[in-house]
Amino acid sequence: MSAAVTGADVGPVRGQVPAIALERVSKVYRGGVRALQDVSLAVEPGTFLAIMGPSGSGKSTLMHCAAGLDSPTSGSIRIDGQEIGGLGETRRTELRRERIGFVFQAYNLVPSLSVEDNITLPLRLAGRSPDPAWFGALVERVGLTGRLTHRPAELSGGQQQRAAIARALVSRPAVVFADEPTGALDLRSAHEVLALLRDLVEELGQTVAMVTHDPAAAAQAHRALVMADGRVVDTLDAPTATELAECLVSLGKV
Amino acid sequence: MLHLSISMARRRFAALLAVACAVLGGAALVTGTAVLAESGWRSHLPPGRLAGAGVVVGADQVFRPGDGPSLALPERATVPASLVARLAHLPGVTAAVGDLSFPAAVIGPRGPLAPATDPATDPGTAGHGWSSTALLSHPHVDGRPPTGSQEVAFDAATATAAGVRVGQQVRLVVAGHPGTYRLSAVLLEGGPGIYVADRTATRLAGRETGPRAGTVDLVALTTAPGSEDAVDAAVRRELAGTPFVVSSGENRGDAAAPGTVAARSLLLLLTASLTGIILLIIGFVTAGALAVSISSQRRELALMRAVGATPRQVRRLVAGQAGAVAALALVPGVGLGYLLAGQFRQLLVGLGILPDALPLTVSPLPAVAAVLLMALVVQVSARGAAWRTSRLPAIEAVAESRSEPRTPSRIRAGAGLLLVVVAVVLSVTPLLLRTALGASATQLAGVVAAIGLALAGPATIRVGGDALARWLPRRTSAATWLAVANTRGYALRVAGVVSSLAMVVIFVLTYALAQTTLSAATSQESGAGTLAPLSISAPALGGLPDGVLDQVRKVPGVLGAAPVSTTTVLWPYQQFGSEEVESAPALVLTPAASAALDLDVRAGALRDLTGATVAVGSDEARLRGAPLGSRLSLILGDGARVTARVVAVYARGLGFGPLVISRDLVAGHTGTGLDQRILVRTDGTDPAARRLTETVAAHPGLAVQATGGGPGSSGATPPEVSINLAVIVVLLAYLLLSIANRLVATTVERRTEIAVLRLNGTTPRQIRSMMRREAGLIGVVAAGSALVMSAVPLGLVGVAFLHRPWPAGPVWLAPLAVVTVVGFALLAMELPTRRALRTPPAHALAQHG
Repeated sequence: MSAAVTGADVGPVRGQVPAIALERVSKVYRGGVRALQDVSLAVEPGTFLAIMGPSGSGKSTLMHCAAGLDSPTSGSIRIDGQEIGGLGETRRTELRRERIGFVFQAYNLVPSLSVEDNITLPLRLAGRSPDPAWFGALVERVGLTGRLTHRPAELSGGQQQRAAIARALVSRPAVVFADEPTGALDLRSAHEVLALLRDLVEELGQTVAMVTHDPAAAAQAHRALVMADGRVVDTLDAPTATELAECLVSLGKV
Repeated sequence: MLHLSISMARRRFAALLAVACAVLGGAALVTGTAVLAESGWRSHLPPGRLAGAGVVVGADQVFRPGDGPSLALPERATVPASLVARLAHLPGVTAAVGDLSFPAAVIGPRGPLAPATDPATDPGTAGHGWSSTALLSHPHVDGRPPTGSQEVAFDAATATAAGVRVGQQVRLVVAGHPGTYRLSAVLLEGGPGIYVADRTATRLAGRETGPRAGTVDLVALTTAPGSEDAVDAAVRRELAGTPFVVSSGENRGDAAAPGTVAARSLLLLLTASLTGIILLIIGFVTAGALAVSISSQRRELALMRAVGATPRQVRRLVAGQAGAVAALALVPGVGLGYLLAGQFRQLLVGLGILPDALPLTVSPLPAVAAVLLMALVVQVSARGAAWRTSRLPAIEAVAESRSEPRTPSRIRAGAGLLLVVVAVVLSVTPLLLRTALGASATQLAGVVAAIGLALAGPATIRVGGDALARWLPRRTSAATWLAVANTRGYALRVAGVVSSLAMVVIFVLTYALAQTTLSAATSQESGAGTLAPLSISAPALGGLPDGVLDQVRKVPGVLGAAPVSTTTVLWPYQQFGSEEVESAPALVLTPAASAALDLDVRAGALRDLTGATVAVGSDEARLRGAPLGSRLSLILGDGARVTARVVAVYARGLGFGPLVISRDLVAGHTGTGLDQRILVRTDGTDPAARRLTETVAAHPGLAVQATGGGPGSSGATPPEVSINLAVIVVLLAYLLLSIANRLVATTVERRTEIAVLRLNGTTPRQIRSMMRREAGLIGVVAAGSALVMSAVPLGLVGVAFLHRPWPAGPVWLAPLAVVTVVGFALLAMELPTRRALRTPPAHALAQHG
């Protein structure tokens, strides 16, 4: 059964530094739109988190702020213990490429670069070259050996997402964020990508946070957060697709 | 980073094509201008007649004021004849020759002969003393040297053309005196030249008495083979501390023809005046091309930001791409530049401004200058264009990449308005400075205003678009409504296109009409002031012979005749507390000039132009503190310093030049010492005209012409017009090419937009109609804003020169420019639209969505 907890979490269970820690984060856009209101959460390392909710619930905004792609109006955000909320754009960018991986729903890869260049992009921007052993293992794990010199246009949707995941992992980040990674994929590719993400968490101990609106996808996660109107309204541990679907439907009935 | 830049550049070649074209054209323009400038600085005429002389010593034909550029002295300055003996004793010198020139022409059966082998030889310096034949390498004399005052020798080609052999009589006009001479020798080799006995030459060149007594033009030394450098060094040691100039090697050509040095400084002036406009236009086009290429890569750059590229890295990436493309385009651009310079030189030679013998200096310096300059322009433009995109928070960059920045930058609009203000200030210059310089300020103002429009454009278009949307009647067609909505919504893109088109119109109008207004004002003034309808000149003789003036005055029916010449004078004056020296063209007149010219004298009288006197234009009198009665220090064309009293102030300074100098003052200081023209005023009757023609016909080599545009011009198209036309054509080609690229690129970028519209039910016909209306709207806005922007500079230039608020020039220019621009916009949007419509919309969305 789910332990439905509303409001703030009480902190990491095992006494480790949480991979992601948000404390009373708010984001207000120009014009007064309140995308996030006082959100707090903590994600332990090595877990797979899913964030769900209807559109406009603020789930993408939450992810963008947590990943350092946007800055919150107030509140503190820590990745692996390091505060990123108040940093300037350049500093946040540098942190992002070393400690955070990001996968978008679509348009993840730079069309004019080869797959290999795309995967190694964050490291190259940081001025480092990848450890060849790690790179080779990663490429094999996502199943793209032999496709390295191709361009994104020559890959299928699923392969492109897998390349994006490889890119997200190449710098061995603390957290991988994924914004609707399976939204544009057919069922089989979606299943492959989700299985890959789950395996990364289980085998490599990677922390993954994924935004999705698909209950079946969220069911792959260890824990699911449900958001509405900029707040976290529900938290489910080891959720099943049915529970999540019920939760989403009940939101609409308020 | 460079690897990434190049990889991205390779795929994006279509977008970067515009950048490549901009850099290619820009490099060509910079290189061409630099080649011309370098030639003006370093080119030399071939030694020609002085080829046989190892070392040549002459007077300094360059005036060097304390600060500021040196000025050419086009009239021959002389050196003491005693130098010949002094230098003859130096070791290694086989012969020392005092070289003189005087006007001479052989009269053949049908009039004066142009030297057959070299039509460019100036008859004003064709005559020399016999000792100058020592300078020819192998003269091969047939006959014996001329002795006494009635013998002459010249080259074989001239002898053949004149139909005379050694020992026969031949007619010559020498230093203004016609006479018959006996041909004592013919030179079988060595080029054209007319030689008389040395004593006779001294007398004919006016070196026996008068201000030039005891002088020669040049001291030419022939040297033993191989000892040229040693002799050169010895001569320099001997003459250290004296004002004489020692030339050897390639510098000898300059010594032979001081007028050439003036032609070279003309090249420098010309290139200097063009540089400002050329640089501005290159910057404009390159920045525009880069803006388009960055705009088409917005999504990729936003993704890079999201993946972890810092703002600075994004800018470096963009700069790297631009640099890679520029590197490719620079090589053909530089090559094209050298070709352009050659063509422009041909034009100048054809117009008679540049001697054909003066070569272009071809060195790698212009290429280096072009590479450095274009690299700088590209890097600065790339970083500037990417500035905004790079600094956005990453996720906003991703969101924005789908359409356009929400609000146009205020800094940019402010900078644009500032430039427009600067342009207005520049436009006021002709009111203060009623000269060619003032007109070129107007030309610059036009281009600056266009750039200001480009910067302030997006803000203006947004405001204008909103207003237009409010005014649109409720039931407009879908195509019109869409066209207006697109214009409002994509203000940045539309503004870029509008400002490029407007730049074409503004540039053409201000550049051409400022020039034509100046020309119209000049010829209007000189036409109004020239009372004499006829002018007599003798170009083939080097100047009018003595006695012609008196004879013409005695012809019944002639009311007045006045001799007129032109020379160059250097005028030192005080400006803002420091001394400036300016080279000014000066008319040489006698007191009788008022019979033929009406300079609109406001104070004093031209009949006082005797002795050391001058008359000045009213603008100069005011600006340089030279009122009636004051004394001016001037430097004549050969470097002699004189003081003159101002005896008249006249208002027609534009048509006749800023300075009029009395003939007495320049006597002995000009190359030939002869008058160039006589302006004749008759009572207008036919018998008078006939008698005049008969009198003139009795003298071989004289020509009577109608005075077209005043005493200085020949009535044909002034050379400035041709030069300006050439400049306009070249710059226009560059602008239009860049605009075509830009229009095509922006239309191609809209494939997704078009696909979305089609999926929502817009038919291809409606799409084409929408595009045409947009193009029409853009063309009209561009033309309209261009006309508004040009109105102020052109109105002011009209007021300044012609005292009316509109300029002079071809009436069809403005309508033609407008029609061209609108037509261009329509065409450049039609073709890519048709191409985009061929792809099924869903396919297009999948490819680029």
